[in-house]
Amino acid sequence: MKNSIEIKNISKSYIGFQLKNVNFNVPEGSIVGLVGENGAGKTTTIKAILNIINTTGEIKIFGKDNKKYEKEIKKDIGVVLDDSFLSEYLTAKSINTIMKEFYDNWNEKKYFNYLKQFDLPTNKTVKDFSSGMKMKLKIAVAISHSPRLLILDEPTSGLDPIVRNEILDIFRKFIAEDEKRAILMSTHITTDLEHISDYIVFIEKGNIIFNLSTEELLENYGIVKCSKEDFKKVENIDYIKYKKEKYQYEILVQNKYEFRKKYNIGTIDKPSIEDIMLFYVKGEK
Amino acid sequence: MKEIKGLLKKDLLNLASYKSTLIIVIICICIVGSMSQSAINYIPIMMTTMIGMIALSTFSYDEIAKSDKYILSLPTNKKEIVIEKYILVIFSILIGAILGFIITPIIINAINYFNKENSINIDYNLLLTTTIGGIFGISLVSGIQIPSIYKWGAEKGRIQMFILVFGLIAIIGGIGYLLVKANININFNMFNNFLDKFGLTLLIVTSCIILYISYKIAHKIYLEKEN
Repeated sequence: MKNSIEIKNISKSYIGFQLKNVNFNVPEGSIVGLVGENGAGKTTTIKAILNIINTTGEIKIFGKDNKKYEKEIKKDIGVVLDDSFLSEYLTAKSINTIMKEFYDNWNEKKYFNYLKQFDLPTNKTVKDFSSGMKMKLKIAVAISHSPRLLILDEPTSGLDPIVRNEILDIFRKFIAEDEKRAILMSTHITTDLEHISDYIVFIEKGNIIFNLSTEELLENYGIVKCSKEDFKKVENIDYIKYKKEKYQYEILVQNKYEFRKKYNIGTIDKPSIEDIMLFYVKGEK
Repeated sequence: MKEIKGLLKKDLLNLASYKSTLIIVIICICIVGSMSQSAINYIPIMMTTMIGMIALSTFSYDEIAKSDKYILSLPTNKKEIVIEKYILVIFSILIGAILGFIITPIIINAINYFNKENSINIDYNLLLTTTIGGIFGISLVSGIQIPSIYKWGAEKGRIQMFILVFGLIAIIGGIGYLLVKANININFNMFNNFLDKFGLTLLIVTSCIILYISYKIAHKIYLEKEN
């Protein structure tokens, strides 16, 4: 399987923050979720991919160096950033005039169809749009030149569940249309990723904590709830982290089926991505 | 080149929302200029300065929308972004200068039409001098302000420019005051002769050099800046 993005050992230092030897891939045909707390390094990683900041290490997009072939690569990428877009004094119609200069593949008809589909007015300035409308406009702009790769930084933050669901549907359709397409989506709303992502990359304080398939995470991982006595029977290598609650111990295990075979203790719950993240951040070993 | 065109379109479409303000400013300049015979000749300076300043306001649009990061995610690069800003400012200065040069005789003719007794002669030499003076002035301001904006942002850059302009006025005024106080008479004839012969050419060449050096500095600052 080819990779749309290959990241090898990228590092970046700021005062009080360090991105340390980040490695992960975004395979073609997949949606990869980049999750982590605010300030964990998600946006820094995205900025590095887009060559907005200088980093050490190697980043390849469509097999090409992201610095050397920057403009060529960016013609095939669609980007949605939560906190950055064109001026709000522009209209959706004027954005079309601007964007067709940047992308050779810009499809005006497709863009106006998206505006219609998303119920977005063409002659109203963006400042009069609601948050959901603004995000839909950013997405329409990002996908109207049929990019091979979508890079999304917090595309659903601050939106109500209905709009969030509509937006996730757009991403599903985008991937389904062409198997060579890929999406990298950073978010701290992990429930969104449970529905659409193929892989989850969890970043914490600039370090990649895990990079696993969503299926493996949700199907194999388990939270064992047991007594203190039962917990003492569990070997250190058989669990990832544990949390000491008021009346019981909670243990995060990598493979609940194997754990069950070895130890017949407590109950095992299916964790959410958020639960797993919390164990990694707050749990003990 | 297409990308620079896209960036120019972005800024021009942003400025389109400014068009009513721009028309009011032009009308105000015309009214102020027509109030006295001497003020009329300063219309090209005012026009060039105002239109040049409006082009600089596109930096504020970008800053308010935090567009920098998004624009850098488009198929362009920092060099093209800086070049585009200079193209926009240079064209705005030229449009302001041409507009000032054309409007001034129209206003003078209009005044002469209503006030035939005290008609004003159109001095094209003076008009050219004030126009080129305006070009030089706003080139100097833009040349200082654009790198400052890339370094400190549009808001801080503006404050810095005001400090600079007032600082320059204070220094020049201070030197003049000291010369008068100290009873020092400088023979300006040589300077005047030189300026009469080469002044306008010198101003144009200096304006070009200022903007070129300014571009080089702005580009270097922006390349090193982490967005």
